[in-house]
Amino acid sequence: MTPPAGSLLSAEQLRKAYGPTAALDGAEFSIHPGEVVAVMGPSGSGKSTLLHCLAGIVTPDSGTITYNGHELSAMSDSQRSALRRSDFGFVFQFGQLVPELTCVENVALPLRLNGGSRKEAERAALTWMERLEVDDLRKKRPSEVSGGQGQRVAVARSLVTNPRVLFADEPTGALDSLNGERVMELLTDAARSTNAAVVLVTHEARVAAYSDREVVVRDGKSRDMERAV
Amino acid sequence: MNVRQWAADLMLGVRFAFTGGREGWTRAVLTAVGVGLGVALLLLTTALPSALTVRHEREAARSDITFSGEVIPKADNTLVVARVDTDFREDDVRGRALEPEGPRAPLPPGVEKFPGTGEMVVSPALKELLESDAGALLRERLPDRIVGTIGESGLIGSAELAFYQGAEGLASHIETNQGRMERIDRFGDPEPVSERSDPVLLLLILVVFVVLLMPVAIFIATAVRFGGEQRDRRLAALRLVGSDSRMTRRIAAGEALAGSVLGLVFGTLFFLAGRQLAGTAEIFRVSVFPSYLNPSPLLALLVAVAVPAAAVLVTLFALRGVVIEPLGVVRSGRQRRRRLWWRLLLPVAGLAMLYPMIGNGRDNGDFNQYLVTGGVVLLLVGVTALLPWIVEAVVSRLGSGGVAWQLAVRRLQLSSGTAARMVNGIAVAVAGAIALQMLFAGVDSDYTRSTGKDVSRAQMEVTLPEEAPLEASAQKLRDTKGVQAVYDFSEGYLGDRATDAEWGTDLTVGDCAALRQIANLPSCRDGDVFAVHGAKWDTSLDDGNLAEPGRKLYLDPAYEGSPEKPDTPWTVPQDLKSAKPRSGLLDDEFDQSGFLMTPKAMPDTFASGLQGRAYLKIDRSVADVQDHVRNTAAGIGLLTDTVTWSEMERTDRYDVVRTGLFVGAACVLALIGASLLVSQLEQLRERRKLLSALVAFGTRRRTLSLSVLWQTAIPIVLGLLLASVVGLTLGAVLLKMTGTPVGVDWAGVLSMTGIGAAVVLVVTLCSLPPLLRLMRPEGLRTE
Repeated sequence: MTPPAGSLLSAEQLRKAYGPTAALDGAEFSIHPGEVVAVMGPSGSGKSTLLHCLAGIVTPDSGTITYNGHELSAMSDSQRSALRRSDFGFVFQFGQLVPELTCVENVALPLRLNGGSRKEAERAALTWMERLEVDDLRKKRPSEVSGGQGQRVAVARSLVTNPRVLFADEPTGALDSLNGERVMELLTDAARSTNAAVVLVTHEARVAAYSDREVVVRDGKSRDMERAV
Repeated sequence: MNVRQWAADLMLGVRFAFTGGREGWTRAVLTAVGVGLGVALLLLTTALPSALTVRHEREAARSDITFSGEVIPKADNTLVVARVDTDFREDDVRGRALEPEGPRAPLPPGVEKFPGTGEMVVSPALKELLESDAGALLRERLPDRIVGTIGESGLIGSAELAFYQGAEGLASHIETNQGRMERIDRFGDPEPVSERSDPVLLLLILVVFVVLLMPVAIFIATAVRFGGEQRDRRLAALRLVGSDSRMTRRIAAGEALAGSVLGLVFGTLFFLAGRQLAGTAEIFRVSVFPSYLNPSPLLALLVAVAVPAAAVLVTLFALRGVVIEPLGVVRSGRQRRRRLWWRLLLPVAGLAMLYPMIGNGRDNGDFNQYLVTGGVVLLLVGVTALLPWIVEAVVSRLGSGGVAWQLAVRRLQLSSGTAARMVNGIAVAVAGAIALQMLFAGVDSDYTRSTGKDVSRAQMEVTLPEEAPLEASAQKLRDTKGVQAVYDFSEGYLGDRATDAEWGTDLTVGDCAALRQIANLPSCRDGDVFAVHGAKWDTSLDDGNLAEPGRKLYLDPAYEGSPEKPDTPWTVPQDLKSAKPRSGLLDDEFDQSGFLMTPKAMPDTFASGLQGRAYLKIDRSVADVQDHVRNTAAGIGLLTDTVTWSEMERTDRYDVVRTGLFVGAACVLALIGASLLVSQLEQLRERRKLLSALVAFGTRRRTLSLSVLWQTAIPIVLGLLLASVVGLTLGAVLLKMTGTPVGVDWAGVLSMTGIGAAVVLVVTLCSLPPLLRLMRPEGLRTE
């Protein structure tokens, strides 16, 4: 089966089971450059597993994932890690910032992991922190900033490598609605400005509203939804 | 506040320790295992004095050869006992030949019935050895039928090799074998002499105990803090539902109490298991029976009270810098900079306690036990107090390097106390061990002495019983596998009178080749007699003018009180030749003096008054060569004595202390390694989600592994540096106390720090597989 024309990342017939539980059962997915796709579904439906498979974090039991013409499942673990460093960005529900590092060091971390010098990495990090309006937090540690601020630092970290795909797993799940909306605005604006595709896992309709398209995952199967305009 | 409320809070804490599902149980069991290991070691330590006492008592109860010199008359309650010890490979085998002289002859402890001639009773360990293939060579030497085993009361260790064999005709040899054979009417010394304890040895034992127990105490303090972060979160939740800060502290104390009480139970079980295991093990030739290891009740009670109390205190102390608020935990520790002054006070106070004993030396040196123990404890506690300050001071100045380095340094900056606590135990153990190494190396010459033996020409000496023919025996030894040369002599003593001789000298009979090994001969033919002039060791030949040709001398002169015997005169020949001394076959210092005689020159009357002796050059590359020789020797006669010479020998007590140190240090380091691993794994588990997230955005596993290594390596390097400084200082002070010149045993310092570093490396390596597992993406799953 060939991936949909023009898609940057696509998945076909994905199956993944954790023990006796089937998390994915023939799920399909595709996304184009610059597109924001919301993956929705109830708790335990398999949406996070789908995201992890798409990002090459988890290997599916069967099915194919194609990124930019290359089959992800055929890559070795180190190749997938390298891909995640260079082409993908991540935002998680609780930010998952390294508590020992300052905010600017956290944002600079992906660049440093790519071999960049500390100075250059932190300069680029600061630029992104300015865009996400958290540059004043650069010397603070994650424990010294609020949840919303921390999440914006995490978004800056996810974008600092100019990824082609940004994976966001419940990025506003731990935030109040005001903060959540601000984070989503910043995230989608920044992604669109760099033409990055965004895979947005959420179960909140108001968060999904920031997307161009919605995919619903239920019992491990996915279905494209028509956006009601 | 009433007692009821207190009890309720403590009980709530106890419940928390065991609830919380699998994780709660795991944490409680980890703590209990940690505390249990420490308690087991403490109980073992409290049991050691009793074990040593029992060993000593059993040894005393079976003592037989008393070297009294008196021969009691034969009676129906007497027994003739001969010492027929032997060696097998590196092991000593205690052997006695027994000849009961009447129905009331005393039985040795642990023996139910006298073995008859051709029979023997053996220790269980010897029985096992003799019945195994490994003991085949020894079985050749001890072919008697085994008719029973020696009971526990007759042995000083479960692995001791010992036998009693039946014999006959021993009585007639008592006079000529004093010190090896005796007629006795009881076993055991009725008037045991208690040795005055050597102050240096006492000092060594005290320091060994302190050095081994200190890290155990630190380990227990670390173990009760397992799961600390989770506990703090739980306490915050309690604050939310109305618990005040004092209540939360009491609840925390209850949790610690539960872990440590369970630890006491575990510790007792570990100890009992270890006690049984100890009965099957032999470490550095020391074995014990399980029944020997009984902790003193008072000390055991002290352990039972002190461990839970310490656990509660440590927990409350750890909570000192933590403010538990309803909405979370705030650690105030970070704001307070560690102060140096009181941390320095501890080692300084320790040195001050040791100072009065400097120069006490070993002559008058009864060291004050309390000052020694107190001083060493304070110095070592000083390590635990100084290390957090040093780690904090150093890591705050460390710059950032690669990502792994940066992650590690930042983590250390954020929680330098945790890092220091993790390596405290190792630092203390290494500091103590360095000091002990120095002390051992310094006093080594006292306890290890050169035998003065030159083992290049001969390595074994065989003394033949009087009835054994020398030539035939020497030939048997020559024919033995692995024997390269045999120098055999008949030795006796010549006096200037038949009784109560004023001057006397040695007589050595041997062929020219053998005589050349002990003196420089001008020329030699069978029939020649030589006088060795100018010997350093014994000058009576020249002083007593004994070598004057024509002078009449007497072989084996009688002395007042000894039984009468016929005179054996000999006249110094006219053609007496002169020989120059040469260093002995086995002894550089000893040079043979007196007369040397070739076989043809020896009068026939001399045959019965001489003692046969052979020196053997052996090929050590031949497997079990020494045991082949011992087998041949045993075949020559029951009382044939075989000695293998080496260049150095140590006193047994020194060996025991040294053994104690090595065994203890190994146990302590293993224990600390285990605690390090548990803490490490706990920290990793708490960071599971973060680790998975880092891997998700492409962090190499190598980077995270390296970061874990740096996190352990930086504090351990600092800890080992501090340990070296404190260890060297303590070692120098201890040496000064014993009046020994201070010298640094660098090999000891390096080996101890190396072992400490190796423990950390092993722990890091062991934590890598779980780290890699924790880095799996499953950590990101929330459902």
